[in-house]
Amino acid sequence: MTTPATQVPSTVREVGPSDTPPVKELADLSVLIGGQGGDGTLTVSDLLARYFRKRGLYVYTSRNVLSRIRGGHADSSVRASRDAISAIKPTVDILVAFDKEALEFGRPELEADGLVLYDSSVFQTDLPATFGFPFATLAGSQLGQPIYKNVAAYGVLSVMLGFDPALTRSVIEERFKRRGGEALEKNLKALEIGRKAALEHAEPMHRFTVVDGTAHDLRLMTGNQAVALGFVVGGGRFFAGYPITPATEIMEYLQRYLPSVHGVVRQAEDELAAINMVIGAAYAGARSMTSTSGPGLSLMTEGIGHAGAAEVPIVVADCQRVGPSTGEPTRHEQSDVAHLAHIGHGDFPRFLIAPGTVDDCFYLTVDALNLAEKWRLPVILVLDQALCQNSSTVPGFDLSQVHLDRGKRLEAEAVATRPSYKYYELTPDGASPYALPGTPGVTSQVTGNEHDEYGHVSVNPVNRVKMMRKRMEKLIHAQSDLPLSRTFGDPAAKIGFIGFGSTTGPIREAQDRLQTRGVSTRFFQARTLFPVPARELSAFLEPLDHAYVVEHNYAGQFAGLIREAMPSYHARLRSILKYDGLPFRAAEIVKAVEGGTDGRVG
Amino acid sequence: MVESAKPIPSTWCPGCGDFGALAALKKAMAELKIPPHEAVLVGGIGCSGGIHNFLEINGLHALHGRLLAQAVGVKLANPKLNVVAIGGDGDGYAIGMGHFMHAFKKNASILYVVMMNETYGLTKGQAAPTAPLGYEGNIERPFDAILAALSQPQPNFVARTFSGDPKTLTKVLVEALEFNRANRGFAFVEDLSPCVTYNDTFKEWREKVLDVSTLPGYDASDRAVMFRLCLETMDKGRIPIGVMHRPREVSTEAESLELKLLPDRIGPAVTPIDLEGNLPTYQKLLAAAG
Ligand SMILES: Cc1ncc(C[n+]2csc(CCOP(=O)(O)OP(=O)(O)O)c2C)c(N)n1
Ligand code: SF4
Ligand SMILES: [Mg+2]
Repeated sequence: MTTPATQVPSTVREVGPSDTPPVKELADLSVLIGGQGGDGTLTVSDLLARYFRKRGLYVYTSRNVLSRIRGGHADSSVRASRDAISAIKPTVDILVAFDKEALEFGRPELEADGLVLYDSSVFQTDLPATFGFPFATLAGSQLGQPIYKNVAAYGVLSVMLGFDPALTRSVIEERFKRRGGEALEKNLKALEIGRKAALEHAEPMHRFTVVDGTAHDLRLMTGNQAVALGFVVGGGRFFAGYPITPATEIMEYLQRYLPSVHGVVRQAEDELAAINMVIGAAYAGARSMTSTSGPGLSLMTEGIGHAGAAEVPIVVADCQRVGPSTGEPTRHEQSDVAHLAHIGHGDFPRFLIAPGTVDDCFYLTVDALNLAEKWRLPVILVLDQALCQNSSTVPGFDLSQVHLDRGKRLEAEAVATRPSYKYYELTPDGASPYALPGTPGVTSQVTGNEHDEYGHVSVNPVNRVKMMRKRMEKLIHAQSDLPLSRTFGDPAAKIGFIGFGSTTGPIREAQDRLQTRGVSTRFFQARTLFPVPARELSAFLEPLDHAYVVEHNYAGQFAGLIREAMPSYHARLRSILKYDGLPFRAAEIVKAVEGGTDGRVG
Repeated sequence: MVESAKPIPSTWCPGCGDFGALAALKKAMAELKIPPHEAVLVGGIGCSGGIHNFLEINGLHALHGRLLAQAVGVKLANPKLNVVAIGGDGDGYAIGMGHFMHAFKKNASILYVVMMNETYGLTKGQAAPTAPLGYEGNIERPFDAILAALSQPQPNFVARTFSGDPKTLTKVLVEALEFNRANRGFAFVEDLSPCVTYNDTFKEWREKVLDVSTLPGYDASDRAVMFRLCLETMDKGRIPIGVMHRPREVSTEAESLELKLLPDRIGPAVTPIDLEGNLPTYQKLLAAAG
């Protein structure tokens, strides 16, 4: 167990005495790091991601953890590529296994010439192409804490990948500088322990080189962070939430950001309080948002309906996870879509906006705030676990693309020149001019009860019909304001894909693969899910034989919404569905298309 | 004059206790010279929660039980507004109980008035959490909000009043609003406000109320004393009313939520959000992210 790394016999990989193993050059590499929760796999992927980004490469990281801090299988992966990417690589080039389960979990994904690094102080294996290093023992004996084994593994990886030593170190400094002191010092030592073990290994360990990229000034971030940044830049100033995976980081980032712009963040006692605090703040005039996931969304349903009826502009970010009920808190799904389209009792308008990539998260959060305020209704940002928590490199955000639209907001001077001010004034497009409470000379009544233009309760049937149409017809009048879809692929193709959210990456990758096999496809990335973008969709569907709606749920929820809105296209739609808690891989989509299936990939 | 929402005639039953609170609130606002546009009344759902329609004031009619959460949101978005939340005892102590207890802890400077009538007036007379044993077959002992308020070690203002004594009610509301306006924190007033239609307790309560400030040892800054005085009064079959808690002195530190978050009392609702003005901050933020 305590054998120093230098004496650990290499595994049975056949290498002749004089042979130097070939160094494989890659333009697209993936490393999967697996172990128990608490083994620090996320740190390894984060360090690698930082390094690759500094080499001008695009990076995508994903994580797969259980909903507990320690214990249970956990893994994270990092992919680096010269091309822009927004999905995990379907195969693994290097697998780092801190325990046997991780080896078993990761091996099926391993490339034919992929390599395995494993912690030989935890288990042994005599499988080919595996290299054992006693990471935990090395860290334990030299640093007093086995926990540093993850950074020791990073050290070995840095040799294996031919990293520049100074840059390798600086990445650790960058990552741990905030914690400083002992943490930084010990992690730097752990790096050297790993590097030394690799350099002194019986076999040369340098096996891969990733070709430097040309992408500079890239930022590495998750969708949650991009939503938080978009919120601030979009003028968001009030946030209330309640912790829930995978939404919590939005609140945590905003706790850091909002005070610097005179904004307020509160952790409420539950989601009922969170959404109602947001309603109160939005009513008072602050651009306001909450974020949540399935179970919290269920509780917020009441408030979303209230905002729709009372015409209070709020944004709700729904970071979808596996449902129903508590489901699988850390796993991926897109199964709130049907609920969101119909959320709440009674009829009221809402917009569902769905970013598909991390930078989309930034810009569409700005749009969501504009739309809510302008159209006086709840806007829901439809996110999913993979989009929220996986990180990818994005170009720096372009502030010149950010525009605020406050709709028919009335400043005090404008109010003073009007004959009247009515919160629910009937207008041709359904959106009423609004002034903030506190505006001299006027008061307003805002209520979820049916009301007249002044906001006084009314059950007059004529008024009811007028008010109902005022609200509901926003869905028609706002159409040209809603985020447009994006289409990718061959305009002459006969096969289509329709998807949204984090499936954007895997679908685009599946398109590339299908193309190399002679199958042309076209992809409609929906960025507004509701109202269903029927005009855009019919233009997209018209030339196609059929289109696969690719989504993460059992029932084909988005396909259902499209069929409901566009019944004449019923027969042209097929589904590719996955609901095992894990994001699509491009290969699964390719297989489904090649099999011609309409169905579930598991 | 710009024409805007005007008070409408009340829809309450003649003689309803809520008229007392309505009149007292009007008087208190006038006494403090609070202009209608600078006040927001967040109403609950119930007969009592409709009060914002009968006053010249900004009204935000909340969901059943959620008025406190909305009121706190308003206050934090714009601390310059006077925020008053008014709802029933069902609204506050049944469906809204979670928000009620958290309001003491949050300690935002809003005034919360609960119109306590032991019943659900609007839904026609079911037992409220405050209903006595036997009311509409009630077999659960009633919840006591004043004892709950006193149990919390927070520097809030707490009082119980009686709609049948509008003069004292006005005085207490003035003190509570002043407490809020000085950004000292949460003010809670439970007003005994009989529902003449489903639980006419006017006569009974007039006989039973006992102003605790007349009792020997009364000290509203001492929770233990007040808790004991309330229990002793209740044991005698009387209903304790009066100011139940006011912090002994004005704290030199920020105690209210809005002051802790926004020392200059300028809220996010009135902070400019234009891109130009915020550009340096945004650029710094984006440069440090990712
Ligand atoms: C979520 C929800 N549940 C139930 C109701 C029905 N409801 C309306 S008012 C009310 C109770 C009113 O009692 P209280 O709060 O004491 O007010 P009061 O009428 O006595 O002033 C109920 C249960 C509702 N509006 N919303
Ligand atoms: S039902 Fe009771 S509480 Fe409601 S208005 Fe009538 S008297 Fe007042
Ligand atoms: Mg009641």
